[in-house]
Amino acid sequence: MVSLKAPWRVGVDVGGTFTDMVIADADGRLHVFKVPSVPEDPARGVMNAVGKAAQDLGVDQRIFLENCAFFAHGSTVATNTLLERKGAKVGLVTTEGFRDSLEIRRGIRANPWDHRTPYPEVLVPRYLRRPVAGRLDTHGRELAPVDLDQAREIGARFRAEGVEAVAICLLNAFANPEHERLVADAVAGSWGGDWIALSSAIVPIIGEYERTSTTVVNAYVAPRVVGYLQALERELIDGGLPHRLFMLQSNGGAVSVRQIAERPVNLILSGPAAGVGSMRHFARAAGHDNLISMEIGGTSCDVMLMAEGRIAITDELSVADYDLMIPSVDIHTVGAGGGTIAGVDAAGMLFAGPRGAGARPGPACYGFGGTEPTVTDANLVLGRLKPGAYAGGSVTLDRELASEAVRSRVADPLGLSETEAAAGILRLVEQNLLQAVERISIQRGQNPARFMLVACGGAGPMHGAAVARRLGCRAVYVPRQAGAFCALGMLHSDVRQDFMDVHFQDLDTLADAPVEDRFAALERDASEMLTREGFDPADTATEREVDLRYDGQQWDLRIPIAAGAGAGDIRGAFEREYDRRFGHTVPGGRILITALRVVGKGLMPPLDEAAMPAATDGVRAIDHREAYVDDRHGAMRCAVYHGADLRPGHTLQGPLLIEEATTTIFAGPRDRVEVDPAGNYLIHLDREGDA
Amino acid sequence: MAQGQDKTPEQHQAQGQDMAQGQDGPTKAAKANDPVLLALTQNRLDHISQQMGHVMVRTARSPIFSQAHDFSCFIAGPDGRVTAQADGIPIHTGGGGFAVRAVLRDHGGSIADGDVFLLNDPWQAGGNHLPDWVIARPVFVGGRLVSFVCNRAHQSDIGGGAAGTYNPEATEVWQEGVRLPVLKLVEAGTVRQDLWKLLMLNTRTPDLLEGDLGAMLGSTRIGAEQVAALVEEVGVDTAMDYFDGILAHAASRMSAAIAELPDGVYRGEDRSDNDCFELRDVWVRVSLTIGGGRAKVDFTGTDPQIRGFKNSTLANTHSAVFTAFASFFDPAIPRNEGTFSSLEIVAPEGTIVNATEGAATTMNTVFVAHEIIHAVWRALNQAAPDRACAGWAKNVFGVTSGREIGADGSTGKPYVFYHGLAAAGAGAVEGRDGFNQIGHLCTLGGLTISNVETYERLYPVRFVRQDLRCDGGGAGRWRGGTGADYEVEVMTPALYSFRGEGLRYQTGFGVAGGDWGAAGEMHVQETGSAPELAPKFGLRRLDAGRLSASSPGGGGWGRPEDRPVAEVWRDWRDGLISTEAARDAYAVVFSGDPDDPSSSLDTVDAEATRALRDKRRQTSPSAQGDVGPF
Repeated sequence: MVSLKAPWRVGVDVGGTFTDMVIADADGRLHVFKVPSVPEDPARGVMNAVGKAAQDLGVDQRIFLENCAFFAHGSTVATNTLLERKGAKVGLVTTEGFRDSLEIRRGIRANPWDHRTPYPEVLVPRYLRRPVAGRLDTHGRELAPVDLDQAREIGARFRAEGVEAVAICLLNAFANPEHERLVADAVAGSWGGDWIALSSAIVPIIGEYERTSTTVVNAYVAPRVVGYLQALERELIDGGLPHRLFMLQSNGGAVSVRQIAERPVNLILSGPAAGVGSMRHFARAAGHDNLISMEIGGTSCDVMLMAEGRIAITDELSVADYDLMIPSVDIHTVGAGGGTIAGVDAAGMLFAGPRGAGARPGPACYGFGGTEPTVTDANLVLGRLKPGAYAGGSVTLDRELASEAVRSRVADPLGLSETEAAAGILRLVEQNLLQAVERISIQRGQNPARFMLVACGGAGPMHGAAVARRLGCRAVYVPRQAGAFCALGMLHSDVRQDFMDVHFQDLDTLADAPVEDRFAALERDASEMLTREGFDPADTATEREVDLRYDGQQWDLRIPIAAGAGAGDIRGAFEREYDRRFGHTVPGGRILITALRVVGKGLMPPLDEAAMPAATDGVRAIDHREAYVDDRHGAMRCAVYHGADLRPGHTLQGPLLIEEATTTIFAGPRDRVEVDPAGNYLIHLDREGDA
Repeated sequence: MAQGQDKTPEQHQAQGQDMAQGQDGPTKAAKANDPVLLALTQNRLDHISQQMGHVMVRTARSPIFSQAHDFSCFIAGPDGRVTAQADGIPIHTGGGGFAVRAVLRDHGGSIADGDVFLLNDPWQAGGNHLPDWVIARPVFVGGRLVSFVCNRAHQSDIGGGAAGTYNPEATEVWQEGVRLPVLKLVEAGTVRQDLWKLLMLNTRTPDLLEGDLGAMLGSTRIGAEQVAALVEEVGVDTAMDYFDGILAHAASRMSAAIAELPDGVYRGEDRSDNDCFELRDVWVRVSLTIGGGRAKVDFTGTDPQIRGFKNSTLANTHSAVFTAFASFFDPAIPRNEGTFSSLEIVAPEGTIVNATEGAATTMNTVFVAHEIIHAVWRALNQAAPDRACAGWAKNVFGVTSGREIGADGSTGKPYVFYHGLAAAGAGAVEGRDGFNQIGHLCTLGGLTISNVETYERLYPVRFVRQDLRCDGGGAGRWRGGTGADYEVEVMTPALYSFRGEGLRYQTGFGVAGGDWGAAGEMHVQETGSAPELAPKFGLRRLDAGRLSASSPGGGGWGRPEDRPVAEVWRDWRDGLISTEAARDAYAVVFSGDPDDPSSSLDTVDAEATRALRDKRRQTSPSAQGDVGPF
């Protein structure tokens, strides 16, 4: 039985296979576990986790819930609804003459050369996209009144067609929501349904394709997602939870179910974005606010960057080729995980990824019938993983199957030994991981050597040291709970909502225009939201940002600004950021404001992890085995430690492997591993020997 | 080394070799004998060229870079052969080597660390057309030249007879802008200010040119640092072997793909419908010889060069052929200069695919590139019908330029905009319908269509419609892209430049029994006057008014009567095909109103449809499609 001190915070991350729960008690002690997900009824999976938590704590389920100070949930339910095309039948109202932007998609295709792959199915077929007369100009002035009789007819048609949710996206509505509101009222009257999404409310950005696409996805997922969340919240509150259920959004912040019900599209990165909370937490724990996280799971690696304590937010997101413009944590994902498949192409070139073996058959060594070698197979062949029970005992690794796959699919075709082939797979995958980190850092004008790498996810700690060394980093941080990175992050998430206003103006005329009034209006919206969420004004914060560009450019930089900042201050901040990213500026160049933004935050008090009892004596390796280290050292005899034996104060010398319940940590020769007061691992990298 | 690697395309051209020559060089690739290092090197070079592209997009000042992405980044070996080009528009693929080899030819012995070269001329410096400027930055490691890190990018204005680089009245290159031989723009790390000023004097938009050249220099600097780090890490000799190994691998993959085609001679052709001054057919003709894993693309029989600016240059013609081949086969085949070493291209001088020095050529990356890709596809389609690509319709539109008018009637700043929202439909392939609206074929659709709202914010225009067209797509088992009905109100007097294609003829050919897509239509109308047919070439100055177009449709793939009834019904209900077209083209008979909410598959007259389809199947495929009109 686990002994925890009330009240506690709870984070639940529902993934495709497992549901992770992390509980942190009043003293910062953690209890972390997994239960199987229930894909056909995700709420069941959450309640099963609650039941197990109560059992582990030896308390009644009601007592467990009554003592929750904060209950946060990350869910893939919105993402899966989209990926599996299980969303609602949506009707879309557009401006007459512009019925098809959703289907034309601006002609965007990720890879032009691959012209044989069709677009994903359009979420609203043309017969359900209905045009309405009426027109606004680019400044939101009415050119022609909206035809409400037509809107009512559209509503009646939607009723006849059995439409479950309606999206409304009219031209230039970002500048004036009035026409959309009128249409919504008229359609609602004759349609009779509940779910109406207005583009001017969901995402008031300029650009009708992206605005329509985002609003449609919102309508598409809403009836499925919101119903689920409301039912779950009701069940939790009826069961004793003394407050609302909080959901993790794509922007890395939490928000109540009531708020998310208006914009469920913001849940699309709900799980991975929760890593933001973990980053903030580790930044405090490691005393380092420049962090890059590399979370490697079975099929992919998510990379996120925190510079001086700030996590970059992007508005461009594509999920299964559906384009969304919602504020999202800037996560770069590459197909490089434990299950990533390697092989040799028709002309003898080694490849690794992006295809993965998935949960079934998974890596060849799982024995579920996979015959293609994966990264996990390579690690097993190289002695970095040991045969037998793996991933908390959920699978058993068979070395012979791994060898056979590596030999037949890579070693033999290339004329390499089995070890050389497996090492080649690792080197190629690690180069892809390195490049993923470079992409997100160097292209933002950040030097990765100044960052500490946080290696997490089940497979991250195996590759963290090698990637960090090549990046020039000094250290790698490996949370003991590496496998529950996102669930852990939920405990450390502020409540957050983003507000924006499209506003074009020459920066130099800042003083002449009512920018201050517009910021104040956005801040009012933010404060109202936070009050509704139950925050005392003392526990809230608002931040202002402006989107800026040099006149003539098409891309904006988002610059945080202080209230009352003048044009000169803003120009200075813009030029510093521009120079850092792009290596030059345009002295005196005309700078255009394109949008004003306010971030509203409800602040959660920091929660420090409890210190773990310190080591009282040395620790002994439980084993030694030959394992591949890197291309310079080849295989070496590595000490193997049992994670549960390691305590704060222990310092270990590489090469070594640490076996934790859900991950294996690798450190190279002359690397030094230190266990920090909270029991997490800090790998100090040897860089001398890397010349 | 792969076959033919020891000959550059120019040498093939100059010597007019036949295919048997230039093969069986010593296999240098044998030296790149660590397959892991080979994979790591290729993967790294691709990543570097992509990073360079990202820097370009984010730093460029003109929308041509940042919005239209009209540039490419590439990395060449010390001999000028392009090793990596992971980022860039298709019509630049394959042209890069011409530029680097021109640098080597002119400065071979004296290239020093810290130099950077600039060029654009198609005849003197390996350019494709004048607006695309190339920056080539040599990379030295340990005093040895190991690479050139380059980009090629379309500039916003380079002087010449019309603003914005496209002069539709040009009949010679001097009317199109400034010609640059291989210039040493940066010498020993210092920009040559005299040269820089010369360039800035020869553009109408020096602020844009300055910003964009800065982006090009910055992007190649970042790329060069990373290439140098890579070469230092593995050692110069090893790196050179592996650069060769990368080319050999790509060569072997393309050669294997070609070897799967039956040996033989296949023909294809396509035409432009005007020479920019009068309506006449100008043909591109290809004879494609497949044999022994090699392909010879012979343009003999192609029409002579024309007066106007739709003439191709050697680099552009090579790029167009490469685009046709690369898009025809597996997109996973790398695209470097090795890929195309199994191709031989014969482009007789003085024809529209290899115009003589001094010809007007600016439009060539779009038209005649489109015709070249079509002609090559049509030849390849016969060799591999299962991979056949139907024709992508040609864009009918040009650009409109004018000056904004202030609220007080004063003249404001100049503007230029493309009617890209009138983009045409793509052709079908087996497994997908044609994209309904997509960017130019020479970009394989990579050129993104703007949002109406963005254009209304930037220019004095108001859009009236951009709706999918009914019955525009070529019928087929897989339907061609249908195109759009487009209309825009231009609120100032403006100059209209007409240089599209696809108004006189259908341009999206069908394949495997599929039909041609519809031809385009375009009208202009001054406020208060009646609409009139838009000119097919040349310039027109018009008062405030409207331009409207029905963009042409792409070709279909396979016989229309084989399209499942449910898919025909879906298009009919969606208003993309009419009741008449459903019956006449697809042999599906509907009763009722497609817009009726109760419409279901029951509206199909099953018996009449079956009878009509059976009858249609007994006749031979239509005379249209891939066999005509020759």
